[in-house]
Amino acid sequence: MDSLNSSEPPVFADIKDAQRQLQGWARRTPLLENSILNEQLGFRLVVKPECLQRTGSFKFRGAFNKISRIPIDMRANGVVAFSSGNHAQGVAAAATLMGMKSTIIMPKDAPTAKIENTKALGGTVVLYDRMTENREEIGERLQKEQGAVLVKPYDEPLIIAGQGTIGLEIAEQSQEMDIKPDAVIVPAGGGGLISGTALAISETLACPVYSAEPETYDDHKRSLEAGTRQPVPTGAFSICDALLAPIPGELTFSLNSRLLKGGLCVSDDEVLMAMKTAMLSLKIVVEPGGAVALASALTQKIDLAGKTVVVVCSGGNADPEILARALSM
Amino acid sequence: MIDFKDITDARELLAGHVLRTPSIASPALSKLTGADIYLKLESQQVTGSFKVRGSYVRMAALSDAERKAGVFAASAGNHAQGVGYHAQRMGIPAAIYMPANTPFTKVARTEALGAKVILEGETVAESRILAMQTAVAEGKVFIHPYDDPHVIAGQGTATAEFLEDVPDLDAIIVPIGGGGLAAGCCIAAAAHNPALEVVGAQADAYPSMCQAFKGEPPHGSGQTIADGIAVKEPGEITTPILKRHMKTISVVSEADIERAVQILVEVQRLIVEGSGAVPLATVLADPDRFRGRKVGLMISGGNIDSRLLSSVLMRGLVHDGRLAKLRISLIDMPGALAAVAGIIGDKGGNIVDVLHQRMFRDVPVKEADVDIAIETINANHVREIMAALEAKGFGTRLLSDMR
Repeated sequence: MDSLNSSEPPVFADIKDAQRQLQGWARRTPLLENSILNEQLGFRLVVKPECLQRTGSFKFRGAFNKISRIPIDMRANGVVAFSSGNHAQGVAAAATLMGMKSTIIMPKDAPTAKIENTKALGGTVVLYDRMTENREEIGERLQKEQGAVLVKPYDEPLIIAGQGTIGLEIAEQSQEMDIKPDAVIVPAGGGGLISGTALAISETLACPVYSAEPETYDDHKRSLEAGTRQPVPTGAFSICDALLAPIPGELTFSLNSRLLKGGLCVSDDEVLMAMKTAMLSLKIVVEPGGAVALASALTQKIDLAGKTVVVVCSGGNADPEILARALSM
Repeated sequence: MIDFKDITDARELLAGHVLRTPSIASPALSKLTGADIYLKLESQQVTGSFKVRGSYVRMAALSDAERKAGVFAASAGNHAQGVGYHAQRMGIPAAIYMPANTPFTKVARTEALGAKVILEGETVAESRILAMQTAVAEGKVFIHPYDDPHVIAGQGTATAEFLEDVPDLDAIIVPIGGGGLAAGCCIAAAAHNPALEVVGAQADAYPSMCQAFKGEPPHGSGQTIADGIAVKEPGEITTPILKRHMKTISVVSEADIERAVQILVEVQRLIVEGSGAVPLATVLADPDRFRGRKVGLMISGGNIDSRLLSSVLMRGLVHDGRLAKLRISLIDMPGALAAVAGIIGDKGGNIVDVLHQRMFRDVPVKEADVDIAIETINANHVREIMAALEAKGFGTRLLSDMR
């Protein structure tokens, strides 16, 4: 990929390239499993815990892959992003590491903890009113006035390639640990993480990849079935705050429609049970949106008997209240 | 006499039977403490603690006749899991003694591994004596949780792996109960680099090894969140090893351990049991001692009860001032409660619970007390809200325990 702002979908070589770019900056998260849990389940469950990634989610990978390629002479102008969650933290952290300033546009009613975390990572937070202001307009203004580079959350080749390094690591680590995955399940919101991961898997392990979503935000499942991008019905609600994109991304869906085997969906209660299992059996903290793939595997939305499945737990930025709620399940 | 060769032998023996757990750098904890922090995740070990290392090495050394006869052990926790796990895989019958009052979940967890649980004795120490007596009488081997050279060599492999991953540590902090993990750690660390400091850490409810160092009679009592290291009697084999290698033992408070468990969840997204969090508690209690140094924390296990973990998390919110309970005095007249709610809302507090109870309170009949639970940002935010209420004439008292 030559251009910082290419709009062509990435290819496998771009993921290899992203891996070199991230070397020494992003953490190579381990693969985890619990043999006693495996025996109880009757299949081998292997977890890729991106909750242990810098900033507590996979988002750092894509953000760093993009931001670190901004030419030195453009860095003074900083970067800008819209997000109320994990993307905000990933962008802020990556920009700070590159010595750049970042402006993150967040809704006024975003959780205080997320605003504070973004500030602590070096981001400048600009709050907007969801009812009366348009965040795209604010973003464009900042881009024009400051010459800042926009870092999109998913529908961008460098972002997809950065998230794809997860798929590459899964393939490498599977080989190192002598694991032969029969399937990989990945959470889907806008589709950046899963499209990059599926691209890497298609060139390495070549096993089926499934998307996992909340049942009320099943836009990937329905889009895969229809063959075209389908939006989420208005008024939908889910506890998976990290996965609330209104429709699959254009670029991401062009990859996903070709690469994914199918879409799996889980209920909020199944998500909470999966979070509990993650805490008590795998000893990791997973946020609701990060737990949908794990929940799909634990409830066997596809038949896994005797098989080996790798699930991506995409983030761990959960409030103590929701963790306590999961523990009481 | 145990030396580093025993630990390298144990590593070979353990390959394929337990996990080689990950060691990770923690930029977030480093930022928080001022030390350069690395974690060895024995919480990710099979059965959720390091104990499977030592128990395997001991059980692999059994003769055929001993294997056939079966083994005894005494523990209600991680050691029971360690012995039970391998016993089942090696086809060795195992009987685990636990105190009569052991919670059902712990009994069930060990039985699920295929071990027979015998509920006898009032304390773990009593159960242990009964198990040892019965083992001797029946000609069976008692698998000691720490005071055994095989066990010590096995536990030492955790440190050997840690130092292979992060060779230039300046210090390792290791929890001490009976001293098996710590003794193995000392031997591995001394062989790697004699200048590497090994810091032992104990909970102040059970500072038995620290007392042994001082020549005091060991005593420990009461409840601790670090139940994995609540050991009254330090080992006879482990104690001299620790005395030879270890300069100091830190003793940390329950509050620091609880905070360490909370921080590991919120900052590191890891579930760690109380005893596994004691090394971080040691850094939190005395950050200056470790500032600027490369410090390895032995995260010895992750087996924490779900209800206990849940209360640590919710209490953490209260301690940090992110959840507060205020008792506010009102004149008993229409609109007073609305005014209070307005002040809290203007200051950005989110009311989550209101208890307005006038029948049973010791206040004049024309006044009323209302207890309000609010979500807040931090302790300063709570104080701001309280000041705003006071400024409008509402007497306000903080009912929750804020750090």
